[in-house]
Amino acid sequence: MKSKKILSLIIALAAVLWALSACASGAAPASQATQPPAAPAAADTQAPAAPAKTEAPATEAPATETPATVVKWALWDWDATAYYQPLIDAYKKIRPDVTIETTDLGSADYQTLLQTQLAGGSDLDVLTIKDIPGYSNLVKQNFLEPLDSYIKTASIDTALYGGTTDQIKVNGALYALPFRSDFWIVFYNKDLFDAAGVAYPSNDMSISQYDALARQLTSGDGPDKIYGNHYHTWRSDVQLFGILDGKNTIVDGTYDFLKPYYETILKQQDDGICMDYASLKTASTHYSGVFYNNQVAMMNMGSWFIATQIQKVESGESLSKNWGIVKYPHPDGVPAGTTLGTITSLAVNSSSGVKDAALDFLKFVTGPDGASVIADTGTIPAIKNDDVIASISAIPGFPQDQNSKDALFVTKTYLEMPMHDKSSEIETVLNEEHDSIMTYNKSIDEALASMNTRIAEILAK
Amino acid sequence: MKGNKRKTLIAYTFIAPNFIGFAVFTLVPLVFALGLSFMKWDGANPMQFAGLDNFARLLKDSTFKRALWNTVAYTAGVVPATLVCSLLLAVLLNQKIRGRNFFRTVSFFPYVASLVAVAAVWNFIFSPTKGPVNGLLNAITGIPYSKLPGWSASKDWALPTAVIFSVWKNMGYYMVIYLAGLQGVNPELYEAAALDGASGRQRFFHVTIPQLAPTSFFVLIMLVISSFKVYDVFINLFAGGDNQLNDATRVLVYQIYNTAFRALEFGYASAISMVLFLIVLCVTLVQFAGGRKLEG
Amino acid sequence: MALKTVGKVAIYTLLILIAASMIIPFIWMISSSLKLNKDVFSFPMQWIPENPRWMNYSDIWTKIPLGTFIYNTAKLTVIVTILQVLTSSFAAYAFAKLQFKGRDALFLGYVLTIAVPWQAYMVPQFIIMRHMGLNNTHLAIICLQAFSAFGVFLMRQFYQSIPDELCEAARIDGLSEYGIYAQIMLPLSKPAISTLVIFTFVNTWNDFLGPMIYLTKTELKTVQIGLRMFISQYSSEYGLIMAASVVALLPVLVIFLSLQKYFVQGVATSGLKG
Repeated sequence: MKSKKILSLIIALAAVLWALSACASGAAPASQATQPPAAPAAADTQAPAAPAKTEAPATEAPATETPATVVKWALWDWDATAYYQPLIDAYKKIRPDVTIETTDLGSADYQTLLQTQLAGGSDLDVLTIKDIPGYSNLVKQNFLEPLDSYIKTASIDTALYGGTTDQIKVNGALYALPFRSDFWIVFYNKDLFDAAGVAYPSNDMSISQYDALARQLTSGDGPDKIYGNHYHTWRSDVQLFGILDGKNTIVDGTYDFLKPYYETILKQQDDGICMDYASLKTASTHYSGVFYNNQVAMMNMGSWFIATQIQKVESGESLSKNWGIVKYPHPDGVPAGTTLGTITSLAVNSSSGVKDAALDFLKFVTGPDGASVIADTGTIPAIKNDDVIASISAIPGFPQDQNSKDALFVTKTYLEMPMHDKSSEIETVLNEEHDSIMTYNKSIDEALASMNTRIAEILAK
Repeated sequence: MKGNKRKTLIAYTFIAPNFIGFAVFTLVPLVFALGLSFMKWDGANPMQFAGLDNFARLLKDSTFKRALWNTVAYTAGVVPATLVCSLLLAVLLNQKIRGRNFFRTVSFFPYVASLVAVAAVWNFIFSPTKGPVNGLLNAITGIPYSKLPGWSASKDWALPTAVIFSVWKNMGYYMVIYLAGLQGVNPELYEAAALDGASGRQRFFHVTIPQLAPTSFFVLIMLVISSFKVYDVFINLFAGGDNQLNDATRVLVYQIYNTAFRALEFGYASAISMVLFLIVLCVTLVQFAGGRKLEG
Repeated sequence: MALKTVGKVAIYTLLILIAASMIIPFIWMISSSLKLNKDVFSFPMQWIPENPRWMNYSDIWTKIPLGTFIYNTAKLTVIVTILQVLTSSFAAYAFAKLQFKGRDALFLGYVLTIAVPWQAYMVPQFIIMRHMGLNNTHLAIICLQAFSAFGVFLMRQFYQSIPDELCEAARIDGLSEYGIYAQIMLPLSKPAISTLVIFTFVNTWNDFLGPMIYLTKTELKTVQIGLRMFISQYSSEYGLIMAASVVALLPVLVIFLSLQKYFVQGVATSGLKG
């Protein structure tokens, strides 16, 4: 008897909850209205978190008499990225009738989620392209609108991008335009150089000079040890010194040219000049932490770290207050300022319902106006003229020495991963073999041989 | 005859609420996905029939074989270890001992905690040259760091590390199932066995184990399935930021994921799923046959 | 006597060792939740942070809408758990105690679907869900989680250990099958239902990929996605992740503690006698 009562009670409760959830989730705006009394906690936190709410502009929509065009923009790290909101605000000034709605798919699984959304027929209009392998996949899947005819009609000057657009053409067609373009530099800790009595690095440093310098700067033992160099666990940190001479690319299918660079850096690891890869990886050690804690004298890293480092010095989290940057080390015979680059671009969903508006927004963000908005947030835009660079080195907190300012001028940039229709699979193999070398699970020769055979298989498919 | 029909109808009314939801949201896409194993599909453009091409390719694919081998080895380690540990723990914590609730709750901790967090802690504690575990080993045995296990960073220790981690993480989960199973054992059976002069050990083997047969059947099948499907544990222990595994740690689901989303070969990925499915089918059928005997 | 004491000491020592190994990572978690991000993974490890950052625990509520996320997750978890327990225990009764054609084949089919990894069918599933208009609704997650083969399997195994004579006797007494389910099976299966509640609760609470794919609107997201929001492209806020993990762990522990009283010998059997 009793259990029957309980059972019917549970069923009734379930039915109510079911109905509640159905109407609450079926109509999102309605749920907003009904939620606060049900969840005071939720209501409380929504107020301070207002900037985090990505749909903020949507609320203005019903007020205007003409139905506004809504452009949906897929991106990642809304909260951690300084330039999204300024870009949207700046665009709103030119096109008040267009509302930009953002969908944050998170950075870690961005590509998988984007592909799934698009496969399901998503209504996303503007897509942020995170990396070249992802771009290559989206092009293959025909999710991206070819931009060439639009570039002509809208008279976009691709020369402004310093040649990067040529590097992302697929069979002669362009499917994305870059808006952000980072390049690799060396960050160094001036206090550690002073303490070791070593002169600061210069803007023209060969890899052997870089190696020698790192060895001079290594000192101490145990927890107080100072490492001359730091390589993060990414493949690019070690492997890509090999492509700076322009003689080889990472998608050629033969990888013996990487040998000397692996030898140099494994030797450093053996000698304790840099931290052990396996420890870094297993302990999830982030490169910023070791740099902030004055544990490393030099670190090769992308220019995206400039803005973070400035901000963390200000907040007191980075103890490495006296720092500088110099140009990337290069192989002998290669001009200084040759470096690795990585671009972030925008593309338009080929099945977007508001293609024209989406293209117009893309043009704005990737164009000169977008570039100046991006540069103001301390990030390096894809269009890099002298004004843009000057505005970055003028940001408060940027190192004041001339070398650091000059380091922002690059001569030649090679993409971390060039465009190739198999780049996604190639990158997987390169990462795996890199890991095997650095953890001593394979000798350099074994791993390079394995790269050669495995990538040959991929290229042959 | 008529009675049978009625019985069947009643049975179906019991199954229907769960089955309809299950069929629409799981079974249909799942059957569709398995069907993809005979297709060539990039996840967007129209698919093409490929016959058995995908399966022929599997036979020659060395990375797939490596993944299969790693998965089987991992399963062979995890299943017996978890089964025994969780059963013993459940029996231990089913007794009237002081602090029983505390111990039960604590054992359940690793299972409920977010994998991202515990894997990070685990790797940190087992870090080859700096972690306290090797620090302790070094201090006690005097073996230099270079000769101590490299745990998740070494190719030889990676699988054992994953096994130990999984047993540790999931022991509490299966312990709970066993605990619930133990509540169904009729105490009169123990009393009768005690009267016959059976020792504690004899009671365990002659009363507890047979009485727990349905539970063990469940635990065994779930363990086998979940070990074959292992993915998150490997990604969080070994992959680092770029979600990539190497030869020593590659597992089947990783292979499926990579093939589908990185190489855009959904058909080929489904062929790997099909292999996984068939393996589990065989193992389950064997267990079913054995289980039927046990269940009587 | 002496032997018994030695045995007892051995058992307690063993238990304390196990408990320690289970609890140390949590102490680390709590300790890290009071640190700056850069110090979380720095060696040598500090168990007690020099300057505990209690701020982490207030930051997690302002940096992401954690309150909304917890509300969403709680709502989803409660609905899924109720539906799961009801439908699974219902279906399991048929599989365990009723004779009908195709029973074993159907059951085997159910179990085998568990073997297919979700990564293999998540794209077709997403396409179906989108066509039904369930994308960006909580209903999607409910449909995904509430009707699992796992629950049916678990409940069926527990019902098997309940003697068939009990059902037979009830049938002779004129109870319908529904009556037997409601009045005999359900009360007898408290430990099993507790188990299923705990598992469903934990799984839904900790589910990550499902919500990640189906819920892209901030106001719909769940706690596990929230945790990931602290991991961005160029940095991971581990101090905050740990603090939020500690907070997210609490409801699950409460559920476990409140249900574990049913794992006491005699619940099921005393029911048998009564």
